[in-house]
Amino acid sequence: MSRKAVVVGLHGLPFSKNIGMTERHSGALAILGALKDAGLTVADVDGMCRYVWQPTTEMEMARVIGVQNLRFFGAQDYGGGAGAPTMALASMAIELGLAEVVVVWRSRNRSSGGRPWVGQIMAEGQDQFERPHGLVRPADGMALHTRVWMHKYGWKREDFGNVAITQRRHAQANPMAMMRKDLTMEEYLSSRWVAEPLCLFDNCLETDGALAMVLTSEERARDLDVTPVYVRGYALGSGPQGYAMTFYYGDELGVTPASYVAPELWRNTGLKPDDIDVVQFYDAFTPQVLLSYHEYGFCDEGDAPAYIASGEAPPYNTSGGGLSEAYVHGFNLLVEGVRQVRGTSTTQVESVNHCLVTSGAVVPTGAIVFSKEPA
Amino acid sequence: MSAAPPLPPRPVPDQDTLPFWDGVAERMLIVPRCASCGQWIWQPRPVCYRCRATNPVWTQVSGNGRVASWTVLHPPVLPVWADRLPLVVLLVELDEGIRMVGQLVDDEGTLLQTDGTAEGLAMGARVALRWRKEADITLPAWTLVGD
Ligand SMILES: [Zn+2]
Repeated sequence: MSRKAVVVGLHGLPFSKNIGMTERHSGALAILGALKDAGLTVADVDGMCRYVWQPTTEMEMARVIGVQNLRFFGAQDYGGGAGAPTMALASMAIELGLAEVVVVWRSRNRSSGGRPWVGQIMAEGQDQFERPHGLVRPADGMALHTRVWMHKYGWKREDFGNVAITQRRHAQANPMAMMRKDLTMEEYLSSRWVAEPLCLFDNCLETDGALAMVLTSEERARDLDVTPVYVRGYALGSGPQGYAMTFYYGDELGVTPASYVAPELWRNTGLKPDDIDVVQFYDAFTPQVLLSYHEYGFCDEGDAPAYIASGEAPPYNTSGGGLSEAYVHGFNLLVEGVRQVRGTSTTQVESVNHCLVTSGAVVPTGAIVFSKEPA
Repeated sequence: MSAAPPLPPRPVPDQDTLPFWDGVAERMLIVPRCASCGQWIWQPRPVCYRCRATNPVWTQVSGNGRVASWTVLHPPVLPVWADRLPLVVLLVELDEGIRMVGQLVDDEGTLLQTDGTAEGLAMGARVALRWRKEADITLPAWTLVGD
């Protein structure tokens, strides 16, 4: 690929339980902030990409901030699976020369706006075979997977507790993070159940948040007063019999679409797990972090707890992630991935060349690698 | 006047799934099966995903199977279940090889208020089909049976 996509701007509003504005408003502020960070203006924007679940469309957002003409727009589906695929879409537009400055954002009032599942009484499509039986919350769907993994791999609640505690420690260094109190294993183990075997601290936060990034071409970035972060490569994957959250109907229980993304990602990037200095694994629930280490090929199947304990694993979710920084459908993981390559994380890993960021692991999903240098 | 009881989630069948719900209304568990290659097709769809034949036949299954996984629900849940917690949602692998979701009930089909411990719920435990009523809705559900 002769044209290379780079991230040149990012911005996030302070996370909160009640941001006090619409997702349209917070999204616009995040985008304007990211453009300013890049040294660009709305007049430069000619592409926009979003999650399908983003309530403000590209068209509406372009109207709100006054974009003259979008040469490229598009959206990616499947909830938290959409993060890396949305970044991939924006990158493709730049690589193909379809757009020069592409804005990507996610604004979500997931705290003040209430829980989306509460009003979901009419069960259509796949839901008609799940929701009437009580699989309503994302945690319910994840709990069934989690018990399979515990049974298959011998994972213990303490293994999940270690993930929650590690990410809390990262959040404590991050002034933007929502949850900065100490978390002990005793508190983890005695916290209330939500959907067994998942307890409160296995679940991500419920946050109002708004984040945006600006991508452009390597050439265009040369005119800007920023250090570009290269989109080294990306991949998407659905696996067979793809369902969102309730991946129960295929042949092998416990395997997720991430295991289909991984080989594509390593092929597309020309990298291998050993090359990755730091990871941001999608973490709506603690077990996804353990699963991601083996599905992306960092360790043998089911060995993540021992692999992490050995100290060999690249550090994960350095901002506190969805569990302790904020839950914005994984967009904060993407932003943290760029920060790690820029060298501006609050839990900065030394000399980062490559950061892997993944999206939701039990939905059709994707992953992306941000790098200091082009391939 | 007392407040209206909270609504349960309501299945909304379409043309591809209606026979399943018609079967449920008659307390028969029926599943599409490919007439060409014999593949069971769950969840229902109009094409066999193995051989692409477009003639699946709705076929009755026994409903016997094993526990492939489960969760125990705790608050916050939909109001309809709020005073019946904890309750168990099962992922059942039927003897035909397909997996279905349903709640853990007693021998009569009544939802059990339990975390499954007293009933000896375990991975691989044998279950049998029962029918559970939720307001005016009939739903397949499963009860634990000995091996
Ligand atoms: Zn067939």
